[in-house]
Amino acid sequence: MSDHDHKPAPMVDEVSDFEILEMAVRELAIEKGLFSAEDHRVWTEYVHTLGPLPAARMVAKAWLDPEYKKLCDTDGVEASKAVGVNWVTSPPTQFGTPSDYCNLRVLVDTPTVKHVVVCTLCSCYPRPILGQSPEWYRTPNYRRRLVRWPRQVLAEFGLQLPSDVEIRVGDSNQKTRYFVMPVRPEGTEGWNEDQLTEIVTRDCLIGVAVPKPGVTSNAKRPVIKAIHPVHHGH
Amino acid sequence: MSTSSNETSIQGSEHGVDITPIPLLQDIQAHGRVWTDLATQYGVTNPDPPWKITLEATCDLLAGDSCVKPYDQVAPGSCALPSLERRAEEDELSATIYEDVPFPERQLLALAHSMIKRGLVNEDELAHRMKEVEQRLNSA
Amino acid sequence: MATGIGDPQCFKGKAGASKFKEGDRVRVKDLPDIFYTRTMTYTRGAVGTVTKLVYESPAAEDEAWDNTDNPEWFYSVVFKQKELWPEYPDLYANDTVETEFPERYLESA
Repeated sequence: MSDHDHKPAPMVDEVSDFEILEMAVRELAIEKGLFSAEDHRVWTEYVHTLGPLPAARMVAKAWLDPEYKKLCDTDGVEASKAVGVNWVTSPPTQFGTPSDYCNLRVLVDTPTVKHVVVCTLCSCYPRPILGQSPEWYRTPNYRRRLVRWPRQVLAEFGLQLPSDVEIRVGDSNQKTRYFVMPVRPEGTEGWNEDQLTEIVTRDCLIGVAVPKPGVTSNAKRPVIKAIHPVHHGH
Repeated sequence: MSTSSNETSIQGSEHGVDITPIPLLQDIQAHGRVWTDLATQYGVTNPDPPWKITLEATCDLLAGDSCVKPYDQVAPGSCALPSLERRAEEDELSATIYEDVPFPERQLLALAHSMIKRGLVNEDELAHRMKEVEQRLNSA
Repeated sequence: MATGIGDPQCFKGKAGASKFKEGDRVRVKDLPDIFYTRTMTYTRGAVGTVTKLVYESPAAEDEAWDNTDNPEWFYSVVFKQKELWPEYPDLYANDTVETEFPERYLESA
């Protein structure tokens, strides 16, 4: 057996100015009483646990169970419990949900209606069930253009849909937070819940991609600036 | 005022942040090594630097209860840096002076920028603290 | 039962009778913004269809002033893209946007 097998995962053995800046900002904020070290630790720990997996599992379950699909459609908060997300009690603040209201709506696609989600106001996102939003979701470019030129924006994500499919943009500018339940793709007949969960990526849950057998990660997306709304550099 | 353009309405507040460069942050921008470079050099596959999650938490907690309330419910002065204002400033700074910086380094520079311009921290004490942190990390 | 600040469940049953029902055609009023609003300019004056009565809550415009005395019904309304943006291509006439409004912003159309 070679040494190679015993090597630990590589680490960055260098402290960057950015890492130092992040710590310095945080320490000063704590010393000035803007927040407490304990709150920061608890919140960081909680945010660490979040990701799109629970929502992906909800979709997979719904694909397999028509009754559960109905529940997702009518009561997203209740349906979330089946995947371990309790919108009322899970965040450590006890304030309800972090930056999001306790009001999840699952937008259920059909063969003729494709949903896609945006928050034109800022970047509201159902964090308890999807984790942190990707950077492009937060950009003015996406927020301003998706409500107005959805087909152009989706095409930039590689998603082109025929004209007989209605594209429905959900703008979460009030108290409801959304995620999209895409249509189960062909080629997944006989798959179990775990297998199905794997192909429901974060981008599928936002609605800018559709699930495909064999595709289990989000496509790389260059962030495009809003000041050149039609320019696409890649 | 309700007939203002869509851009304005979607944008929230875009006026307000002072985009005059801050020497300390300019220096970091010019000399700091971003995660994509470091990760490539050291063969690390994690797409985000380890400090990204603590940065997010700092942003959330500076928003105080606007981290758990929406902007329009936050009483003025009740938190250090309301989330919608910080986001609008980050948008503007990202499109201007920190345009060439990748994410999340850009978010960090924008946060420090917003905090300095609001007087939540001052440039000298931040520079001083950075020196201390650097010594601590490199002496371990 | 959600008890988070502002969570819509806190106001359940407090808005009284709803003025509109699913399927109603409504127009978004162009009310003046006093301080802050979550009603987007792009929807103002547009006519859409109520898809769902979503929850009861004070409007953002009241909550901004800590006024939670007058919860009202919120409606999810769907608009044809063409109604919002006249230059939207006819080829995609079915495309829509769905978003929510407090009752005060809506009138029968």
